[in-house]
Amino acid sequence: MTTQAASQDGKAERELPNVVEFRSVTKRFGENTVIRDVAFTVADRPDRGEFVSILGPSGCGKSTVLRLIAGLRPHHPPTTGEVLVIGGSVEGPGPDRGMVFQDYTSFDNRSVEDNVAFGLECRGVPARERRERAREWIARVGLDVKRDARKYPAELSGGMRQRVAIARTLILSPRIILMDEPFGALDPTTRLKMQELLIDLWRDAQATVFFVTHSIEEAVYLGDRVYVFSSAPGTLIRQMEVPPSKCPPQDMLHQPHFLGMVRELRGTLETLEAHVIDAVE
Amino acid sequence: MSEATQGTVPRRASSPVSAAQRSSRPPLFAVRAAPAPMVRRALGLGSVLLIVGLWWAVTFGSPEDRFVSPVILPSPVDVVTSFPTLLRERALIQSVAATLTRVFIGFGLAVLVGVPLGILCGAWRVVEAAGAPLALFGRNVPVAALIPLTILWFGIDETQKVMFIFIACLPFVYSDAVRAIAGVHDRYVETAQTLGATSSQIVRKVLVALALPDIYDSLRHLFGMAFGYIMLAELINAQYGLGFLLMTSQRRGLSEHIILILIIIGFLAYGIDRLLYFFQRGLFPHRALEP
Repeated sequence: MTTQAASQDGKAERELPNVVEFRSVTKRFGENTVIRDVAFTVADRPDRGEFVSILGPSGCGKSTVLRLIAGLRPHHPPTTGEVLVIGGSVEGPGPDRGMVFQDYTSFDNRSVEDNVAFGLECRGVPARERRERAREWIARVGLDVKRDARKYPAELSGGMRQRVAIARTLILSPRIILMDEPFGALDPTTRLKMQELLIDLWRDAQATVFFVTHSIEEAVYLGDRVYVFSSAPGTLIRQMEVPPSKCPPQDMLHQPHFLGMVRELRGTLETLEAHVIDAVE
Repeated sequence: MSEATQGTVPRRASSPVSAAQRSSRPPLFAVRAAPAPMVRRALGLGSVLLIVGLWWAVTFGSPEDRFVSPVILPSPVDVVTSFPTLLRERALIQSVAATLTRVFIGFGLAVLVGVPLGILCGAWRVVEAAGAPLALFGRNVPVAALIPLTILWFGIDETQKVMFIFIACLPFVYSDAVRAIAGVHDRYVETAQTLGATSSQIVRKVLVALALPDIYDSLRHLFGMAFGYIMLAELINAQYGLGFLLMTSQRRGLSEHIILILIIIGFLAYGIDRLLYFFQRGLFPHRALEP
């Protein structure tokens, strides 16, 4: 789907095409401009992906950016501009770009195991093999295979359902993982646990993650880079590199440079939100 | 849960509070509060007993002295004691069997045609757009108005009765199936797409799989409606059937049989509904878990 010849881009110094590239992308619905002239490039780093946090007030088109990468209508295709994934323009959704949503995350009629195996089932992987792999992933996202594999989503907590959704996406080894406020509905403790889980899994997955969030701490804590969007219409106004930290993630929360970045971002967002009446959810 | 208790207790801390107020259960008349199962059953039984009691009171005494004439309303005892004649002389069992057979076949056909059609149209809304005026028309034509046409088309025998049920139910079965499929949240479709599902996989594994419990549930309700329609069809040239029995009872002035058949219809409908409900829990175990 995204296998067009790569380097139309003269700037590309390496052979590897960019993982995602937005070329002055604008999306309008009638009179309403959702995002305007959004341009950014996420390069391919061999053997390790990049974690991009997307931050901004409500209605700034954060989700639109994700949905354009995913190729989901009605946001796809862009009104003007180009969305490129691994050098090719996005034609529609596909399993190379997995997506984790905040709500309606599990197929309620399927057990945990069958939820996780959904993508493999669609690919025609034999039942026995997909069961094995699903169970492996159920364990990797911190669920108890014996206890939880045959449960239905209705029996799970919100955090457990998100674990299922993450396993269901990662089992297909997507090149890109799109997460639209996946932990937004979770309580703070569960949220923290999920963030740790995500850091662990992402390192192994070698995928590029786009993570939309309302939480500044979450954005800085998880991200290698933070993109800040302003609202109405959504534009990318700031990109920030988070310097790699040697210390364990838990301690990072108390590091001065971490707190400094959070303060700076909060300042940026507060200026933005002065124009927007209520940006909280 | 205990909002009501919290509201009353602190304000009246000094006065004694009854045990009922202390319990976590809200007061009986709190808005939307569900009464305990025992209370619920007692209330239901109570209202039935009240009606039977009133019935008994207005039809008390020898036929000449009654408040309501036995021709209008027979007494409960008259009704119960008329059961053997209904069963033996008027072939109740054959009539029940005939009615059920007609409903099962007619409604079964409506399901066989309407559900797949509804799934198709729910999944591809362009097809639905083409069928929308027909479905609207079908649901709004008064059912009784279909009888003359079905007689013209199918005669006055069994075929007409079955086809009448089929035609009367089809628009409803179809519309409910469309609604159930269309009601599956877009997020599920999008999730499936980003997991690599093809269109036909989305229809089978996501839309149908998630909508099936709702479709079944609405079929359960529509079956009750079909059961009501068959009475209409059985007023015309039927050999057996509950509708036929009702009509002949009225002609012969057997008011106790009329009441009795109405009660039997009630129990039959209830029994069938419970049976279908029982299967529903087995077919869709994930739904049984939901509150």
